[in-house]
Amino acid sequence: MNRRTIGLIAAGALGLAGGGAALADGKTVFETNCVACHGSGVAGAPKMGDAAAWAPRIKAGQAALYESALKGKKGMPAKGGNPAISDADVKAAVDYMVAQSGGKGGGDKAAEKAPEKAAGKPAPKEAAVPAKPAAPEKAAETPKPAPAPAPAPTQVAAAKPAAAPISPAAEVNAFNRLLKPAGKRNLPPTQDGIHDPANDGTQLLQPPMEAFKILPRSPGGNGVNWVQALESNKIAPRYDKADPNAAPVVMDLNIVREVKGSMPDVVYPHKQHTEWLDCSNCHPAIFVPQKGANQISMAAILLGQKCGVCHGKVAFPVSECRLCHSKKKDTITTGAAK
Amino acid sequence: MKRLLATVGMGLALVLFLAIPVSRAEYGDVVINNFSDAAGMRPVVFPHWFHRVRFRCKVCHADLGFKFQAGGNEINMVKIIDGEYCGACHNGEIAWSVENCNLCHSGVPGTPTQVHESTIQKLVAPGGKTGPAAAKK
Repeated sequence: MNRRTIGLIAAGALGLAGGGAALADGKTVFETNCVACHGSGVAGAPKMGDAAAWAPRIKAGQAALYESALKGKKGMPAKGGNPAISDADVKAAVDYMVAQSGGKGGGDKAAEKAPEKAAGKPAPKEAAVPAKPAAPEKAAETPKPAPAPAPAPTQVAAAKPAAAPISPAAEVNAFNRLLKPAGKRNLPPTQDGIHDPANDGTQLLQPPMEAFKILPRSPGGNGVNWVQALESNKIAPRYDKADPNAAPVVMDLNIVREVKGSMPDVVYPHKQHTEWLDCSNCHPAIFVPQKGANQISMAAILLGQKCGVCHGKVAFPVSECRLCHSKKKDTITTGAAK
Repeated sequence: MKRLLATVGMGLALVLFLAIPVSRAEYGDVVINNFSDAAGMRPVVFPHWFHRVRFRCKVCHADLGFKFQAGGNEINMVKIIDGEYCGACHNGEIAWSVENCNLCHSGVPGTPTQVHESTIQKLVAPGGKTGPAAAKK
């Protein structure tokens, strides 16, 4: 908490000392010109405040960001499509967005590069654009205060996400960028990004972890092995909405599906499925109840058809290959004959 | 004045966007936003995990007739108070009753209909972001 406060104060001080004025009109420029794309993150635009999206860009250096903004990049037209904005204003808007997106931290990392680039850049620009005096000053200004508080960047980076409760700090080079980190799984409803924390009912909902901690774990999905939870009587879900004693009609029949390629054959157990489901849930709409009558492919499953009606939405996801592909093939010995 | 309103609006929009970053709700949580946004209510979040601890799939998906598709059931409050769909249990007898609006209508406004964390959602919108294209399945 203390560190955060310091970080915030440091950020504030930086703002005042460095580009207080720049940030102020940067905000205006942003709100009139940039917000359409950078406010929501459409068309590949990095959304303001999305530290993760901005981090690699900030790392590339302030000069590179200015250049992209002034000359355009990918989906973004030069100056965001409004040539009437002065270069200085464009830069101010960039500074503002960077500062709002965990930028001071990133800006510092870029600071080593930025001074040379910033020093190199303005010279040729100056000849071209008359409105120069303001611009190089600003370019010089931003890197200057940065190197002074060297430890500040991480603190600011940590403080920024605190506003949006759980968004991870911008660890650009962290392992498994796209994988949900362990600490971000099974969050309570107020932090899960889907429930509205401002809603009074959200506070009353059960946090998933409270229910899951006594259940057998599994790597995929919720992190719960639901089949095992049921088998071991850790949970006792009703088979009838009102009658707690209704017993499921279980059918114990395995269907073996030979698969192409090197994957082990699929063993489909009716038993585990009928523990949960009724025959009518799958037959005949999803699966024709006849061996060999159903074309199933991983592509269809990934698209939410066949097994994918449940697996990949609520039952264990397709990442758990071996739970289905579980019967070792004997093709190695008999392969030649086939 | 108009400008002020626009700025405030943008501010609000920004706050909303900032409030919905990456996916981190439970696997299988279903957001149902067929009518909620238009009616000025928060969208419904249906926690699959919570219900499957208490009921087998069959109860809702066979007995009560819930289709296996997020947003595919055209559920509305009239049907619920008449005892269909959620109302089959959420009637004050098996589970708490409909007056607890905010327990279901608890989603962040504007969240599209979706099965959260579903494979198709991840495939259509890499990085787990929710997009309109990923909304329906």
